Amino acid sequence: MTSNSTRRPLPGRHSLPRDFIVRHQRERIVNGLALEASEKGYRAVTVADVVRRAGIARNTFYENFSSKEDCFLQAQRYAMSAALEEVVAAAGGIDDWPRRVEAGLAAFLAYVARESALARTCMVEALAAGPAAMRSYEESLQSFVSLFRLGRDVSPYGGELPEALEEALIGGVFWILYQRLSLAEAERIEELLPELVEFTLTPYLGARAARELARSKDGVPRGKEVV
Amino acid sequence: MELYSFGSVWSVLLRDPVKPSVESPEYPPELARLPPGRHGLPREFVSRNQRERLIAGLAEAVAENGYSGTTIAHITRHAAVSRRTFYEHFNSKDECFVAAYDTVMTELNRRVGEAFEQEEEWPQAMRAGLEAMLEFLISEPHLARLSMVEALVAGPVVIERYDAAIQSLLPYFEAGRKGRSADVLAGLSSTTEEALVGGIVSLISRRIFADRTEELEALLPDLVEFALTPYLGSTEAAKVARA
Repeated sequence: MTSNSTRRPLPGRHSLPRDFIVRHQRERIVNGLALEASEKGYRAVTVADVVRRAGIARNTFYENFSSKEDCFLQAQRYAMSAALEEVVAAAGGIDDWPRRVEAGLAAFLAYVARESALARTCMVEALAAGPAAMRSYEESLQSFVSLFRLGRDVSPYGGELPEALEEALIGGVFWILYQRLSLAEAERIEELLPELVEFTLTPYLGARAARELARSKDGVPRGKEVV
Repeated sequence: MELYSFGSVWSVLLRDPVKPSVESPEYPPELARLPPGRHGLPREFVSRNQRERLIAGLAEAVAENGYSGTTIAHITRHAAVSRRTFYEHFNSKDECFVAAYDTVMTELNRRVGEAFEQEEEWPQAMRAGLEAMLEFLISEPHLARLSMVEALVAGPVVIERYDAAIQSLLPYFEAGRKGRSADVLAGLSSTTEEALVGGIVSLISRRIFADRTEELEALLPDLVEFALTPYLGSTEAAKVARA
C-alpha cells in the first residue's frame, strides 16, 4: 500500500491546492526513502535513489529536505508521532491499565503492519543514521516507557521491579517486530498481540494473571472499537 | 620475533595498538614491520598473520572513524600492511568488516558459553553468562561498539550475521523451560525467548551507542531479573538477580 502513495500525480495543470501537493510530495519522498532503505540499508541509499523511487524531480527533493539525513530524521519523526497518536487515540480513554496496554499495543502493531517499510526503517536504521536519529528514537522509546511504568502502581511487585524493566520490554517488542518485518511477515504482525501482551504484563501481574488477560479476548484487541 | 608469536586472532585484537614506527614511502608498511630481506618465515604463516593484522586494523580504524568514515587506507595504516596486501585478503572494506565481526562474535559466544557451563543450576548459569557478556563488552569498548553498533551501520553486508548471532543466544534462555510446571510453561509463547534476547540486546546496544559502556556493569541485576522472570516469577528472579 505504500507503493500507491509513491505514484506520481498527473502531469500538467491541476487544481489541487498547493499545500496538498507539498504534503503529498513529502509523503512520497519519505516513502521512497523508507522503501529504498529497507531494500539496501540506509547507508547505501542516495538522494538519487529516493528521487527515482518517489518519481519526483531532484529539485523537489531539495525544496523539501536539505539532505538524506534531514529526510530520514523527518521521516522518523513523522512515523513516530503518527504511531504514538494512534496509540493514544486507542488507549488514552481506557482506565484499566492492563487493558490500556493491550489497546495501545494493538494500535501500535496495526500501524507497524500498515507502514511496514517506514516502521522497519525507524526501528532498525536509527543506529545507522547517526546521533540525531538515535536521540529521536530514544525520545519515542521513552514515551512508551512512561505508559508501561504506570503498571508499577497496580503491580503487587511495584516497588521491587528492576529499574530498566520498561526499556527491556519495549526493546523486546521492537526486536520481535523487526524480526517479523525482516522476514517480510508484515501481514502477520497483528497476530502477535496476545503473545506480546502477555510478555509485557507478566513482570507486573505475574504469569497467570497476564496470561488470562492476554487470552481473554481471543486476540481481538479492544482498541479496535475506539479507532 | 615477538610480533609473530600471536597464537590466535584474538590476541591480535586484544593487543595494545602498535603504531608503525617506520613510515617511509619507499617501504611498503609491511616491510616496516617485517624484518627486511629474507626472513625465512613460511609464506602461509606470514599470510595468516597479515589477515589477522588487517582484522585488528579494521577494529581500530572503525573505533576511530566509525564504519562509514573508515577507508581502506585507515585499515592498512593501522595494520601496517600495504594496500595490495589488503586486496590479497579481502575484496572490500565490507568483507574485512564481516571477518572482524565474526571474530568478535565467536569470542563473545565462547566466553558466554564457558561461563554458562560452569554453573549447575540454570538461573545461576544465566547470571554467569550475562555477567561474562557484560564483562567482555566493558573490557573491550571498541569491539563492543563494532559488534553492537557499527554492525547496524554496516547494514546489509552483516545484518544476517547480526540477526543470527542474536538468535544463537536463544538456547540459553530456552534451557530455562526444562523442569518448569505446566502452569509456567503455559505462560511461555514461541516469542518469549526472542523478546527477552531482543530486550537485553537493545538495552546494551543503546548504552554502547551513547558511549555509556561503563553503565553496563550496574545493569547486570536488572538484566538477570528480566531474563529469569518469565520462568521463575518476579520474586524468585529478583532473589537470584540480587544475590
